[in-house]
Amino acid sequence: MADDIVRVEELKKHYPPDIKAVDGVSFSIPSRQIFSLLGPNGAGKTTTVEILEGLRVPTSGTATVFGVDVHKDYDKIRKRVGILPQNFEPFDLLKPTEAVEYWARLYDIKITRSDANALIDRVGLSDRKSSMSKKLSGGEKRRLGIALSIVNEPEMLFLDEPTTGLDPKARRDLWKLIEEIRSKGTTVLLTTHYLDEAEKLSDDVAIMLRGKIVARGSPEELIAKHGKTTVVVLVGAGKDGLKEVTRRGISATEEEGDVLVPVSDPAEMRIVLAKLASIEMKVRDMYTRKQSLEDVFLSVVGSKMDEGVLAR
Amino acid sequence: MSRILADTVAFGKQYMRSGVAMFFAFAFPIILILIFGAIFSGAGDVRISMHVQDLDDGAYSDVYLSILENITVVDLEVIPVDQNFYDYFEQEDLSVAVLIPSNFSEQVALALAGDPSAAGYVLLYGDPSTTSFTTVTEIVDFTLTNMSQALTASTPIMGFRTEVPESLGGLNFMDFFLPGVVGLVVMTNTLYTITSTCAEYKTRSYFKLLATTKLKKHEWLLSKFLFYTVLLVASLLLTFAVGQALFDMKSTLTPLAFVFIAAGAFLFLSMGMLLGSIVKDPESASAVANAVGFPMMFLSGIFFELASMPGYIQTIAKVFPLTYFNDGLRATMIENDVNTAIVNLVIVVAIGIVFFILGSKVMSWKER
Repeated sequence: MADDIVRVEELKKHYPPDIKAVDGVSFSIPSRQIFSLLGPNGAGKTTTVEILEGLRVPTSGTATVFGVDVHKDYDKIRKRVGILPQNFEPFDLLKPTEAVEYWARLYDIKITRSDANALIDRVGLSDRKSSMSKKLSGGEKRRLGIALSIVNEPEMLFLDEPTTGLDPKARRDLWKLIEEIRSKGTTVLLTTHYLDEAEKLSDDVAIMLRGKIVARGSPEELIAKHGKTTVVVLVGAGKDGLKEVTRRGISATEEEGDVLVPVSDPAEMRIVLAKLASIEMKVRDMYTRKQSLEDVFLSVVGSKMDEGVLAR
Repeated sequence: MSRILADTVAFGKQYMRSGVAMFFAFAFPIILILIFGAIFSGAGDVRISMHVQDLDDGAYSDVYLSILENITVVDLEVIPVDQNFYDYFEQEDLSVAVLIPSNFSEQVALALAGDPSAAGYVLLYGDPSTTSFTTVTEIVDFTLTNMSQALTASTPIMGFRTEVPESLGGLNFMDFFLPGVVGLVVMTNTLYTITSTCAEYKTRSYFKLLATTKLKKHEWLLSKFLFYTVLLVASLLLTFAVGQALFDMKSTLTPLAFVFIAAGAFLFLSMGMLLGSIVKDPESASAVANAVGFPMMFLSGIFFELASMPGYIQTIAKVFPLTYFNDGLRATMIENDVNTAIVNLVIVVAIGIVFFILGSKVMSWKER
C-alpha cells in the first residue's frame, strides 16, 4: 500500500553453514500502527529488525523504510528513524540529560538544556535527571533508551524487546509510554516475546518461528482464527476430570492440573456448562476466560513460551 | 565537526568521572617520579660495566684497580692508555667512565707524607641522567673512601671529581626518567583504556547503537584522539612541573615533545583499537592489553637505559614502538637532537598508521 512505512518482501538472512536466521519473511507496516514481531528467542525477530535498521546485510529479499532500500540508502532515512536496540544499556557515567544532549548532537540536532529536560520529563525520569545512568533501575534505563530513540522525533520507531527482564509494573509503565509515542503519530515496530505485551499494544502481530512468519493478523483476528472464543477452566480437575469430561464427548485438554474446555460458539456455552455440571468430579473452582494470544501461540506453535523460551 | 566535539565532550565527561582513569593520567606519573627520584637520588645496586683508564700506572692506582676488580657487581673494563679517554667515551657510546690521572699515586704519596694540599682524585666522566652514572658514582665514592680510611684513619686523602660532556649540559637521572614516564603514561592511558573501551562498546552494543546515529567510525576515533592528546598534554605539563620543582631537571619542553604526545596517542589508540576489536569481552581486553603493554613497559627503556641491558634485550626492545617513542622524546627533551627525534617520530607515526589501517579493517560497528 502507498502509505506503508515499512515493506519487507521475501527477506532472508542465512549464515554458513546452514543457519537460516530469517527465511523468507514478508510483511508491511502502515503509518501510525504498532506492529509486533512476536516469537521465542532465536526466532529471527532481532535479525529482521536489524536489517531494517541498516545494521545487517540481508542475504536476499528487499526491506524498505519510507520507500528507501535500507541496505543501499539508509543514510537517507537515518534522521526519520528512532532505534532502541535489544538489551539497551546507557553510558554509565553520563546523566540522563547529558545523554540526551549527546545523542541529539550525534544526529546534528541542536538541542537546548531545557529541550533535553523536557524529553527526560516526557519519559518519566524527572526525578532522576541528576543521577548517573548506571544508578538507574532497569526500567529507568529503558526509559532513557526510549528518550534517546525519540530525540530526533522519528516518524518510525524500532523497539527491540523494550521490556525484556523488567518487572510487571515497569513493563506496564513502558507500555503507556509506547502508546503515548504512537498517539503522537509515530509508527512503531516492536519485537517481544511477551504475548500479553503484543496483545495489549499491537494493531498487527506477526508470530515468528525459526526464521519464518507462522501467523499474521491483528490480535483479535488471530484469536478468532486460531483460537476458540472462550475457555471453561475446571481448576484442579486433573487427569481424572479430563477422563470424565472427554468420556462425555466434550473436547478438552489438561494443563498444570486444570482441565480446559474450549467453547467456540457462545450459543453452545449453556449446553457445555450443563453437561459439565452433570459430571461428578472434584474441582477447586470453575470459571470462564476469553482466549488470548497465548492460546493462539500454543495453537500455532504447539508449545508455550516463558521468557522467550519454548516449553518442551 | 560538531559530532566529533559532542563525542569528545561526552567521552571526556565519562573519563573524568572515572577515578581509576584519572589516577593513571595524573597521579600515577607523579607517584612514579617521586619514587624513582627517591631511589636514584640515593644508592643503586645494579651490576654494571665500569670502564677505567689508568694513566698513572702507579702503586696506589694499582691498589685501587684491584679493589674495583674485587667488587662482585662490577665488570671492570680497562681502557688502553694509548687511547684518548674522551674519544673512547664517544666512540663506545658510554654512559660513564673513570679516569685515573697520571699524578694519582704521586698525590696520594704526598698526602700520606703530610702535605695538606695534596690529594689523589679520579675523574668521573659521563651522563648523570643515566642510572649507570649514579651507580658508578656510588661505587667510586665508596671505594675511595674505604681505601683512604685504610691508608690513614684521619684526613681523607682521595676523592673524585665529575665532568659532564658539554653536549649534555648537567642532566641528572630524572631528566632521563621523565620522558620515559611520559611514554609510559601515554601508553597506559591510550592502549589499556581504548582496548577495554572497544571491547566494552562491543559487548554492550554501544557500537551498534552509535551506528544508528550519524556519527561515523572515523569521527569516533578522531574524538578519542583529540581527547587523549589534550589529556596527555595536561598530564605532561603537570609531571614536568613537578619534576622541575623537586628534582632540578634541566630537560626542556620542546614543541616536538607535544608532537610526540599526539603521535604517541595516535599510535597506541590505533594499537588498542586493533586489540579491542579482536578480543571478545572487557576481561579478555584487560589481559591482552597487559600482555602487550607489560613487556613494553619494562623493555623499552622507561626505567633503565637500554644500553645497560643484555644485547638480546636490546634487540627485543627494537620491536616495541614505545622504544622509539622514548628515544625520540629523550632526543628532543634532553639531548636537543632534532634529527634523531624526527627519525623516531616518523617511525612512531608509521607504526601508528599500520595499526590504524589494521584496526579500521578489523573493527566493525555493524553485524556482518
